[in-house]
Amino acid sequence: MAATTDARPERTAQVRIHLTTRSDDIQLPETGPILVPTELRRYQLSTLVNRLLETTQPVPLEFLINGQFLRTSLDEFLTQNGISAETTVNVEYVRALIPPLHVASYEHDDWVSSVDVLSNTAKAIRMQESKRKALYAPRILSGSYDGMLRIWNESSEVVATGTAHTSAVKAAKFLTPTVVVSAGIDRTVRIWKHDYAETGYEKGSLAPTLELYGHKSSIENLAVHTRTSRILSASSDHTIGLWSNRKNDLPAAAESLLPIANKRRKLSNAQQCPQRGPLSLLQGHQSQVSDVCFDEKDDTVAYSSSWDHTVKTWDLTTSACVDTRTTSQSLFSICHLSDAGLLATGTSARHISLIDPRASATTISAMTLRGHTNAVVSLAEDPRSPHQLVSSSHDGTCRVWDLRSVKQGSGTERTGESVYVIERNSAKGRTKRPEAGDGVKVFGVCWDSTVGIVSGGEDKMVQINKGGE
Amino acid sequence: NIDPESLLPKLPDPNELRPFPSICTAMFKGHDGRIRSLNIDPQGRYLATGGDDGTVRVWELQTGKQLRRLRLSSSEAVNQVSWQPSRETCIIAACCGENVQFIIPQGDICNPQQDRRSREVLDSGFGYATSNPSKTAAGVDKPSSANWLRPSTTLQDKGVLLTLTLRSTPKTLAWHRRGDYFSTVSPSTAATSTAVAIHTLSKHQTQHPFRRLKGLAQTVCFHPSKPLFFVATRQRVRVYDLQQQRLEKELQPGAQWISDISLHPLGSNLLVSSYDKRLLWHDLDLAATPYKTLRYHSKAIRSVKFHPSLPLFVDGSDDGTLQVFHGNVMGDSLENATVVPLKVLRGHKVVKNLGVLDVEWHPREAWCALSGYM
Ligand SMILES: [Mg+2]
Repeated sequence: MAATTDARPERTAQVRIHLTTRSDDIQLPETGPILVPTELRRYQLSTLVNRLLETTQPVPLEFLINGQFLRTSLDEFLTQNGISAETTVNVEYVRALIPPLHVASYEHDDWVSSVDVLSNTAKAIRMQESKRKALYAPRILSGSYDGMLRIWNESSEVVATGTAHTSAVKAAKFLTPTVVVSAGIDRTVRIWKHDYAETGYEKGSLAPTLELYGHKSSIENLAVHTRTSRILSASSDHTIGLWSNRKNDLPAAAESLLPIANKRRKLSNAQQCPQRGPLSLLQGHQSQVSDVCFDEKDDTVAYSSSWDHTVKTWDLTTSACVDTRTTSQSLFSICHLSDAGLLATGTSARHISLIDPRASATTISAMTLRGHTNAVVSLAEDPRSPHQLVSSSHDGTCRVWDLRSVKQGSGTERTGESVYVIERNSAKGRTKRPEAGDGVKVFGVCWDSTVGIVSGGEDKMVQINKGGE
Repeated sequence: NIDPESLLPKLPDPNELRPFPSICTAMFKGHDGRIRSLNIDPQGRYLATGGDDGTVRVWELQTGKQLRRLRLSSSEAVNQVSWQPSRETCIIAACCGENVQFIIPQGDICNPQQDRRSREVLDSGFGYATSNPSKTAAGVDKPSSANWLRPSTTLQDKGVLLTLTLRSTPKTLAWHRRGDYFSTVSPSTAATSTAVAIHTLSKHQTQHPFRRLKGLAQTVCFHPSKPLFFVATRQRVRVYDLQQQRLEKELQPGAQWISDISLHPLGSNLLVSSYDKRLLWHDLDLAATPYKTLRYHSKAIRSVKFHPSLPLFVDGSDDGTLQVFHGNVMGDSLENATVVPLKVLRGHKVVKNLGVLDVEWHPREAWCALSGYM
């Protein structure tokens, strides 16, 4: 191993490192800095720490220097980042993420546009004001192009279905364990009452309770805020609707937006359901609004992404747009990474841009995550790590990203690489991903600590992947 | 003629001319046989297609999901589909056999306001025709070559609310920017005087503006702002002033057989594609001969399109490829346009010597859609 280049000095270069961790169970006894060869890579360092910990079962570890994952040898890392090998380098070690393995797939009759999870760790339960803490068996909610909502238990059984939408459902979410919100091509936001058995193995029901009219065109995505009972809808009519699930909070629906009665279509069922209008319509985007999310820390603030290339910040108390960030491509998805204080937005140009929405930010894009080969249409934050997120794309994959995994680009741009690629289980055995994601596009993704990474797509499947602990 | 290769070294780097389409992002699968025509709605959300299987289909543009399928004929092909250029309505005109069918796509594709407005637009002519039974506005006898009828209730339930029947199969339909006038071309008609028709939707009126048309009409288009009308025959493009009723200009592209034309959104430059593999750029302020001749394809070019808002154009050929160009037209007519070839996109498989049949741009984005054999 020493004979590869003549230029290398015979004696291996060494560097003093100080190993630390924030996980109590893998703490090293305080040893002070240790001297290691600079040619060490992640794997050798992991072996070294495991030996020092005297673990019986090795714990795979990742190493961070200045908040960046070590992806090369120590030597290359220090050179690339201009760190002198003469100083003591602080090296933080963390448990390596376990590859999210396929757990189950639930088959649908048509394309799956959106997914959500109800579990003890889901926001719909954690953010409830009532302190009731029953142990619910997890449920998975899916919205499909066949116009139906389905609620599944973890044994691949449909425990409730919702039929009221007159065409494809594009978004569905749990507002609380008993309230489901959905929207789609029929321009309505619908509120449903979810009756369920706590065991998760008995049939429950989904009954429509409210029909909300305000949009003039298809609704592409929803955001819900459990504590304030607020709902946001991103529509291709260029506006964002602000709604509540409480009938009495909402004004009457505009007559002109209600569906034209058609004798041949039975509306008897739907007509029993009260119809209401929005609390407010947020206007300012110049093209379709693709996605919307609440600020994770301030429920009066929301963010939206649009085909008009912009990300907008909204003050929900005044319904005013308070900030606009312009990028150079159509934006298809958005998610707020609360601890990093960044917005992740998925683009038509196949990457994810990380945008700092704070007024003081000087650059448009704080970082770019590259790897997808088609539009990035859905994003979700890792519920357990402030550094990680998952994306779904029309390329037929979901990708897990870690903001600490940075690839040193040629220019000044900070580029991140995905740490895991989740393929469709339905495409298993194929050597090559189909061109244009044909047949495997992934439309929606959700990340729950209990259930794992749940995604739905063109393969008519809800797919669950989970990394081990 | 200028050899485009000789111009290459002086041209800007394509990477500086982004955005332009570079990869295939979605496929629209469902048609049986050739898809002869496609068109994106004015808002840029839905793609309409028509083909040999006699169906018109509406797809979600972003995902490739088929949302509606409407069979217009079991024996005849749909030759062209075209959305009426208005944001208040939601109407697709589809040429199938000798008919032009006006369709309001069902299934939540348009909202109730658009639906009502579209019905008004398609209905208004029936009222006009009743109050003005035999004469057109100009006082000319109404030609019997066109019939405006209400379709059967079965078709009406599917959203087909108006049928225009011509004597001979229309292959091309071009809307005027305002969406009330449109023109059809029936190239195979025996009488060349009725090959080109200009129709008024609100009055259910049909006129044949050219008594004698030299050559076989191929395709037509309206000027975006002036009352000018472009008629391409096999070898010539003539520009008429519809108000003055006179010939303004005759262009000589030098092509043996013109397949398609596309007028720049500013109205000052015209692209002409030909079955003899050439793409011709005409600056209407310059000579009658082309300003540039582009030879990039090994087979016939069937379709050409300027982007409605970006400095881009694209052509589709029987060699199975699309060629994307940067074409920057200066508002100032003194400055000549710059043309830079940007990208060759692999399109459809070549089947029975047919490759890319039609190309269309998104109204705002640098995205194009193409059709061929499925
Ligand atoms: Mg066309």
